[in-house]
Amino acid sequence: MVMLFFFFVLPYANMLYISFLTRAYDEPYYHVATLANYANVLSDGFNWEIIGLTFWFAIVTAAATLALSYPVAYFMARSSSKRKGILLALVLAPLLVGVVVRSYGWMILLSDTGLVNQFLNWMGIGARKLMYNQTGVWIGLIHVYMPFMVISLMNALSDVDPELEKASRSLGASAWTTFWRVVWPLSLPGVAAGTVLVFVLSVSAYVIPSLLGGYNVLTAPLLIVQAVMDLFNWPLGSALAMVLFAVTVGTITLFNRIMSRAMKGIA
Amino acid sequence: MAGPGRLLFPAFVTLMFAFLLAPIVIVVLAAFNSGEYLTFPPEGFSLRWFENFFQNRPFMRALGFSLRLALWVTFVATVLGTLASLFVVRHARRLRDFLRVLFVAPLAFPSILTGIALLIYFYAIGVGTSGGFALGVGHVLVCTPFVFISVTSVLVRFDSSIEEASRSLGAGPFTTFRRITLPMIKGGVVSGAVLAFITSFDQFPISLLLSGIGTTTLPVQLFDYLRFSFDPTAAAASTVSVAITVLAVILTERFVGLGSVYGEKR
Amino acid sequence: MASIHIEEVTKRFGAITAVDRMRLDLQEGELIAFLGPSGCGKTTTLRMVAGFERPTAGAIRFGEQDVTNLAPERRNVGMVFQNYALFPHMTVTQNVAYGLQMRAVDASEVTRRVEAMLAKVQLNGLGDRYTRQISGGQQQRTALARALVINPSVLLLDEPLANLDAKLREEMRFYIRELQREFGITTIYVTHDQSEALVLADRIAVMMDGELHQLGAPKEIYERPASARVADFIGLANLIAGQVTSNRDGAVTIASQWGEIAARGGSELGAGKDVLVCVRPEAFTMSEGSGAPGLRREGDFTVVTGQVRELAYLGSIVDYQVEAAGGLSLRVQAVAGEEFPPGSPVELRFPAHKTWVVGSKPVSGNGPSV
Repeated sequence: MVMLFFFFVLPYANMLYISFLTRAYDEPYYHVATLANYANVLSDGFNWEIIGLTFWFAIVTAAATLALSYPVAYFMARSSSKRKGILLALVLAPLLVGVVVRSYGWMILLSDTGLVNQFLNWMGIGARKLMYNQTGVWIGLIHVYMPFMVISLMNALSDVDPELEKASRSLGASAWTTFWRVVWPLSLPGVAAGTVLVFVLSVSAYVIPSLLGGYNVLTAPLLIVQAVMDLFNWPLGSALAMVLFAVTVGTITLFNRIMSRAMKGIA
Repeated sequence: MAGPGRLLFPAFVTLMFAFLLAPIVIVVLAAFNSGEYLTFPPEGFSLRWFENFFQNRPFMRALGFSLRLALWVTFVATVLGTLASLFVVRHARRLRDFLRVLFVAPLAFPSILTGIALLIYFYAIGVGTSGGFALGVGHVLVCTPFVFISVTSVLVRFDSSIEEASRSLGAGPFTTFRRITLPMIKGGVVSGAVLAFITSFDQFPISLLLSGIGTTTLPVQLFDYLRFSFDPTAAAASTVSVAITVLAVILTERFVGLGSVYGEKR
Repeated sequence: MASIHIEEVTKRFGAITAVDRMRLDLQEGELIAFLGPSGCGKTTTLRMVAGFERPTAGAIRFGEQDVTNLAPERRNVGMVFQNYALFPHMTVTQNVAYGLQMRAVDASEVTRRVEAMLAKVQLNGLGDRYTRQISGGQQQRTALARALVINPSVLLLDEPLANLDAKLREEMRFYIRELQREFGITTIYVTHDQSEALVLADRIAVMMDGELHQLGAPKEIYERPASARVADFIGLANLIAGQVTSNRDGAVTIASQWGEIAARGGSELGAGKDVLVCVRPEAFTMSEGSGAPGLRREGDFTVVTGQVRELAYLGSIVDYQVEAAGGLSLRVQAVAGEEFPPGSPVELRFPAHKTWVVGSKPVSGNGPSV
């Protein structure tokens, strides 16, 4: 607990504090309070553009992983426990491999002379630029965060008793109606949890945009690291981090409020 | 599901699994492929990229450092996480829920921001990032929650009356811990430790920010390398790192049986 | 063996008082059941005797020794937990041997005593099984063996039969009683099951809201409950409201709204006091009745005439709901034989010595109180 205080709570507090200090050139910062950093961050349209782009990435990633993961999670939740175990191991396996390695795998696949383009050429479609642009970032983000979505959906769907579906069918509902009226509403807690998780992870993703975006795509975490590491402007970096943090928390709060209205009576 | 759905559905699921596993498989293939670029069909089997990797000094230094760091971090995180879990589950009364949230909080915060916060903080308190202390602290911070969660999930299944039974039979608190509590939570501790090891070994954002001179971890080294080129030496490096992770999992499975951790519920 | 003395013990958890100035002495070799609804403080008291909780005030002694602040491992108590708390990573033998190993008994002696104990609880041959591989009843006996093998000075049982099925529970009652007699160990038995307490205990301590409500032999508790709540908690009770008109050395006359009732009660019940009269369902003698519904006194008996409203056949006994005049409804249990169908007029007689007067605090519960 002591350790947590000194190396977790304090650093964040310190960052908040520094974000109010004046920038300096001969040392990291002067101990002079100012709002200039926030003014800087908030007034610069470029920053907002980047935060906007970061959020756009995160929202689309969350939505796409949800759409792609739902069938997978449903399939797993309805599998026998043995098969479920194997499939779960397969879903978890990518998580055991570092994100840098996985990005690299995509770089091999997506590069101009990579396997995907070789395949497209062979099909006669012709090579496409798949990397060092937004496409690469999309693919990378969806891939890296999909396991999180699958797992939270699967947990929720495993709790939905298959008997409920039979009951619905016996009452005359079609498979489709059963899904929308019974399964989907009951899985909402998992949907909400998975969406928030993927959203948060995507907002703070660093490796994917830098490797697969190749600095042609600038997102907020890249900007922050740049401010801190390359420009040595700690106060500005801290202020940026705080703004990103605040906007993220705000978005999640809003989302949770909407979801909890939708989930009345379930959770 | 009727008609074409019966076929389409499993096909889609299979496709998704292929999507999830593709990049990892590709990396391993590329490492053993003799050509500069991976083509289909592959050009031939070769170990030359591994040779390259093992002769590359920065890579070797990073690998060695990563392993040492991961072992230290695993040790510290396992001890801290286990103690924290014991305290929260068995002793904390009113603050229990608050502490439970607090101990996993480092996972919920974006690690890139945690990294920056730690970087600034360590300079502010005059420690800096040289020598790897800052890096170690950062890793312990994000690895301990895994141990905490893992041990807690096992611990809550055992009623504290088992420990009380031991006390009533004449065993002191220490003997009770050694002979009763520890053997019961062993599975949770070990699987938590493995998770901590893997997390530390693969950890990137915090390593990037807190690496000092001579304390570059393998993922960071790989990242730097990939920024400028991506010849299959990187694939060999990646494959080695994947192999170490897999080895860690297999060894634990062999010696403790990860299944037993969750199997006891049945 | 040791006597147990609980002296003015209080336990508070924050603002909640779990046990309030409890005072109780157990003689050597005695078995006392702590009986009460959940949350009454019986388990907390047991845990203080075991040493898992420290009293906020008061003292606990085993014989002459003050153990109030002694760690549990130094008290030499044998305890059986509700969920048995068997060590899941040890075999039956290892579980039973554990306490002896803690006492540094040498290995051959441990083996001998564990084997003897396992034979005693009829678990021979199961020693090498892990505890999850044996049945609930066998787990229960393992827990008993583990607690008894160390020759404890006191034996503490926390709802030991709660997790067994009904038939096994009945068997185990007698078994535990036998075992306890044989070992002659001072024993506290916590339960919320009144029939268990009645069968097993030398004396019953009825606890409610953290207080000791009544202490006495099972027969005494059943026939002369200290309050309406105790009457209602232990067995079934008909409670009839009334007022004391006279009290001659415990022979009490009660005026109820239906008529005069002959009863027995404590000598402290003076004339004019509002009371409840407790009559057990089996205290009635039932016969074919005649005449208008009502209640009257006939010397040392009270006679009620009424009509059977419902009956339930329970095998050896028949359970009646009898409706008398003015909304007086009585629960009556009679030995099966001649049955009175619903609607038949009946006469109920009950003697004064089976009619006990308790304080007037009304009870909430399922007993028919009027």
